[in-house]
Amino acid sequence: MRGKFLKVAVAATATAMLATACSGGGDDNNEPAGESGGTLRVYNAEPAFLTPSGGDDEPSLYVIRQLYRGLVKYNAETSAVEMDLAESVDSTDQKLWTIKLKSGYTFDNGEPVNADAFLRSWNYAAYGPNAQNNGYFMKRIAGKADVAPADPDGEGPKEAPKPTAETMSGLKKVDDLTFTVELDAPFSGFPTTIGYPGFFPMAQACVDDIAACNEKPIGNGPYKIDGSWQHNVAINLVRSDSWKGEPGKPDRIEYRIFADIDAGYAAFQAGELDVLYTLPPARYKEAQAQYGDRMYEQPGDSFTYVGMPLYQDTFKDKRIRQALSLSIDRQSIIDAVFDGRFTPASGYVAPTFEGAREGVCKYCTKDVEKAKQLLAEAGGWPAGEKLILWANAGAGHDLWLQAVGDQIKEALGIDYELKVNLQFAEYLETADQKKFTGGFRLGWGPDYPFMETFLYPLYGTGAGSNNSGYSNEAFDNLMKQGDSAESIQAAIPSYQQAEDILGEDLPVIPMWWNKVGAVYSENVDQFVWNAVSDADYGAISLKQN
Amino acid sequence: MGRYVIRRLLQFIPTVLGTMFLLHYMTSLAVQFSGNPVRALFGDRTPDPALLAAITERLGYADPCLDKRGDPCLWREAESGSGWLGTGYEPGLFFDRLGNIFFHFDFGINLRQREVTDLVADAIPFTLKLLVIAIVFEAVVGIAAGVLAGLRGGSFTDYAVKISTVFVISVPIFVLGVVVREFVGVKFGNVLRDQDWIPDVISVGVFTPGFKPDYPLASLVIPGMVLGALSLATTARLTRTSIMENIRADYVRTAKAKGLTNKRVIGVHTLRNSLIPVITFLGVDIGAAMAGAVVTETIFNVPGIGRLVTMAARSGESSVVVGVVTMLVLVVLVANLLVDLLYAVLDPRIRYE
Repeated sequence: MRGKFLKVAVAATATAMLATACSGGGDDNNEPAGESGGTLRVYNAEPAFLTPSGGDDEPSLYVIRQLYRGLVKYNAETSAVEMDLAESVDSTDQKLWTIKLKSGYTFDNGEPVNADAFLRSWNYAAYGPNAQNNGYFMKRIAGKADVAPADPDGEGPKEAPKPTAETMSGLKKVDDLTFTVELDAPFSGFPTTIGYPGFFPMAQACVDDIAACNEKPIGNGPYKIDGSWQHNVAINLVRSDSWKGEPGKPDRIEYRIFADIDAGYAAFQAGELDVLYTLPPARYKEAQAQYGDRMYEQPGDSFTYVGMPLYQDTFKDKRIRQALSLSIDRQSIIDAVFDGRFTPASGYVAPTFEGAREGVCKYCTKDVEKAKQLLAEAGGWPAGEKLILWANAGAGHDLWLQAVGDQIKEALGIDYELKVNLQFAEYLETADQKKFTGGFRLGWGPDYPFMETFLYPLYGTGAGSNNSGYSNEAFDNLMKQGDSAESIQAAIPSYQQAEDILGEDLPVIPMWWNKVGAVYSENVDQFVWNAVSDADYGAISLKQN
Repeated sequence: MGRYVIRRLLQFIPTVLGTMFLLHYMTSLAVQFSGNPVRALFGDRTPDPALLAAITERLGYADPCLDKRGDPCLWREAESGSGWLGTGYEPGLFFDRLGNIFFHFDFGINLRQREVTDLVADAIPFTLKLLVIAIVFEAVVGIAAGVLAGLRGGSFTDYAVKISTVFVISVPIFVLGVVVREFVGVKFGNVLRDQDWIPDVISVGVFTPGFKPDYPLASLVIPGMVLGALSLATTARLTRTSIMENIRADYVRTAKAKGLTNKRVIGVHTLRNSLIPVITFLGVDIGAAMAGAVVTETIFNVPGIGRLVTMAARSGESSVVVGVVTMLVLVVLVANLLVDLLYAVLDPRIRYE
């Protein structure tokens, strides 16, 4: 008995290792001619969902964008809207939109990509009981409230009323390739929103068995899944024969799933990945030095701000907010705390966006004299009161927030206190309930490439993410004016004026914009980064040899 | 023997219930004090309340007791009728969970609406492979080193084993893991990968900074060795001391005096008796290795149980933490029972009644 077990175990391990030795080694690229071909191996975290209606996190979107295609796509450099599956997206009043589709596109299972495919997907996402994350994005479509009625007492014991309709009244099919979308209010930026994966179509077979479709997606894009989703391990995509549009460059895209970015970076260093779309913050400088020309850096569109609780008396005077903003030297914090991974913000709209301008906020560069003067004009800081600075725990925000506090203290002599003990969920709930007692850190990323995404949701009266409680009639009117402008370009001047109001009022203190940092391997021939949808794996070509 | 096993199995019940209550209470407290984890899913975008409520309900965070700080969620006020035994209360979230787990084998779903049982089924093969590699590594190398050192106390081998084991014991596993990943997996691996004559299974498979689907076993060798390293040191030291003690025992002297070969004296008489404490340790160590796997799997990106627990704890997925840790507790209990039974096989003096 003794010893036998060990012998068996050792023998078993040895055999198994031999077996892998034989089957392994298929890692090399095959070599067709031309630019396309090869296997692109990319970093990914575990996606939440692979359905257009469910996936709203970065790892999901990266996969969904290759499996599915929508009405429009975005130009890689200018982020301008280009037609993809749509023939046209038109409106005369910016409220009723008519969408015509190109014919001939199908899903991988042969179902046609017609008007029904889009209406089905949008209605499925919006219907409350389906609990789909991207239901959020259907909020502008008329009739959304009927399919997802609000719970009268939030999380309380009363149950939410049953939806009174299963489909949104704003969506109407005209013929097989035409449908109309009626919005609650005019919105000139509507065409920019529908390139988001939440608006991609779904096959009937997918909606019928959403769980199966999540494991083995039925897409309509240039790639289809090879096998099924290997949770926490890998997702492999191959070319889809049913795709009629411009084909993708690599023959195969392999998403390797990592639990954290450090493990992903190690795998990249060991040559196991071709693209790493983000970098571990601590290795940023090292990557810059090591990969130089194979590192892609560009200003991003993720906004960090220190919100001002306008519902607290202390922060009601805009001169106080201006003075606080004037005492912060953003660049020095970026250099000291973040190794230069951010760009100081001087406006409210991402610098990569059409219509964005530098220097909208005149109080966003350090000027201690002016700060002191403004504070004095406002009657000074309440004696004995501390400035409280809030951030969520465990995400490293306390470091830079402390630097902000120190700079304010040095400039204006206001003592500060950090409140950084709330976990993210509770922190967000505090924000929703407007219970902050001082400046609070929050961020924002755009939902679509249109200036409005940086303005209305954050500062519009009563808007969802308006955590400052800011309300300004002139601002709201300018937003409405932009929303009903006759085209995307025509809307920009109104939005710019609205942004100017923010630059004076400072409902939040702009801090910085992120920088995109991605690295790619020597196998990559041309690296393509889309200004809206980030690394575009289907467009990245590999060296063929 | 049979009665002993039954008694031990009955002892499992309070242990498992106790752990489950602790886990349940801790994860409930986490939700009560740090907020609804579903809200965090949306980040900066404030979801509309209907959507938030629908998703909260579906994921099982809607129980009202999760809003009352400190409430152990044992009982709730009966919605209708007089409740359980006329007390006006009915069994709460904890009993719902117990009922689901033990009567319906339903461990709940995670924040991504996947069944916990599916998650575990996906993850278990990786963890088992890793554990087998770790235990085999620490048993074979640890015992061999311990025997070599023990037989020749004070020799060079003895000192080499003593010093190297102290070194390994004093390095925490998360440091060892990261250092091995960076230097063995990345740096040394890159040197190997530049040499064409080395087969891919070695240069790409074994010397890798993490798990690879293309080399499902080869890429687990180094993570397994890291996981086993800590216990390897303890195993070696235990064996060494035990051998040194037994080699001077009366029965070994008798065996030698009888004229038995050295091989038989060491192999059968000394080693068999010296291994009792080592086996105990290895058995208990399966539990510790499971805990170590939480760290090792995260560092080496092994999609096993340990990484699952790490990710669930980070995002506050109560159902996953409760379900997986309950299963781990069962594994440890069963392993301990098996170790106790093995004693009787190894040592004829031990009898269970």
